[in-house]
Amino acid sequence: MKYRAGSVMRLAVPFRALTQRFAFLFLVLAAFGLMMIGKAETLLVERVRTGVIDVVAPIMDVLSRPAAKVTAFVDDMRHLTELRGENQQLRLQNTRLLQWQEAARKLSTENATLRELLNIVPDSRVQYASARVISDSVAVFARSVLINAGGRHGVAKGQAVVTGEGLAGRIISVGDGSARALLITDLNSRIPAVIEESRERAIVAGDNSGQPRLTFIGRDNRVELGNRVLTSGHGGAFPPGLPIGVVSEIENGVIRVQPFVRLDRLEFVRITDFSRVIGAEETPTDPDSGIP
Amino acid sequence: MPLGLLQRLDRLARNLTPLTLSFLLVIVSATPLRIPDFGPVAPNVGLIAAYYWGIYRPDLFPAVAAFAVGLWQDVLIGTPLGMNAMVLLAIHWFILSQRRFFQGKSFAVVWWAFALVAAAMAALLWLIAMAYHARLLDATPAAFQGVLTVALYPFLTWVFARTQHAVLRQA
Repeated sequence: MKYRAGSVMRLAVPFRALTQRFAFLFLVLAAFGLMMIGKAETLLVERVRTGVIDVVAPIMDVLSRPAAKVTAFVDDMRHLTELRGENQQLRLQNTRLLQWQEAARKLSTENATLRELLNIVPDSRVQYASARVISDSVAVFARSVLINAGGRHGVAKGQAVVTGEGLAGRIISVGDGSARALLITDLNSRIPAVIEESRERAIVAGDNSGQPRLTFIGRDNRVELGNRVLTSGHGGAFPPGLPIGVVSEIENGVIRVQPFVRLDRLEFVRITDFSRVIGAEETPTDPDSGIP
Repeated sequence: MPLGLLQRLDRLARNLTPLTLSFLLVIVSATPLRIPDFGPVAPNVGLIAAYYWGIYRPDLFPAVAAFAVGLWQDVLIGTPLGMNAMVLLAIHWFILSQRRFFQGKSFAVVWWAFALVAAAMAALLWLIAMAYHARLLDATPAAFQGVLTVALYPFLTWVFARTQHAVLRQA
């Protein structure tokens, strides 16, 4: 009995080593092949990826809640110390904003009358779905987040992801109950934009740094530090006029934009359902539908 | 003595611990912490898992496991599929080829070796990412991630060692 087992082992050990080596080679090739497929045929890969993420999303959702609580608590503590000064500042700001509100009301009525005079085609209505960010962008060479709303909630590829401050990114893949948003700082992000002051068109191109570059703008542009950059609405995916950021650096012809949204602290975002309702009847208000 | 069904299930569950734990840690590592500028340089837990289990329990963490954990990272984090899988396979290969070196070495030596491995892997990831995007990329975040991963290593090792003692002692 012992002898037989030994002879089997004598054969089995090198055989096992061989299969192991072969398996390793196979796995390396598989990883390489997956990267190739992912680069060429994104649809299949995306479907598999979103399928898996849909399953894990509830777990990540649960995990993200206490993490958010802790962050909120730390923030609270820090803010407590600055409360008095902040209050004063807010009061000042409030008076200023009230003046602005007055001005905006006047302009809005004036705008409405002028529109009526000119018979302008109204901008299409924008609808929003709200969602929670359930996974951070923890990759070194990619900037994206997972959100807990998906196809079931009307989220679709290409929609703009915004917060109160402005544009955060766009939806690149959609599962049933989750979706991935590519942030505007990602290497692959390109957003058609317009400079608010000079109305020059440009593309806000991410490069994985915190401040995306402004490209496709003429050499003789009139961009200045502090200019606001908005979405231009070209391409039809985004509503025009969403604030993206402010020009923060002009150096050797390289213009950089500091995003208004604090992309490393995203918690709740809104997804604008713009492309789907293009050409819909105008309604004066933006109804917020509170999805998850 | 032949094992009963329950015993076999129990052993299977125990043997799968390294893999399950690694999968869970990857999920936890993707949880948003909302620390400014932390996300892109957050430690790569897959790297630590593949290194630790590759050294101490290679029988329970074969190349397939390294591949699976890497792929799991790619799926969750949103990196191109296969990118982290490739890096973890590289670690696995390195550890297997250097098994003699790691045998019976003290924690400090293994940690020091991990620092070297993490540096090499950061460079590898950087090269793969550049090849994939066909573009020159800034290597700084990869370097920072390497440093943070090395810093996290003692803590995760403690978690892994605890689990190993509690669950895999008799296996």
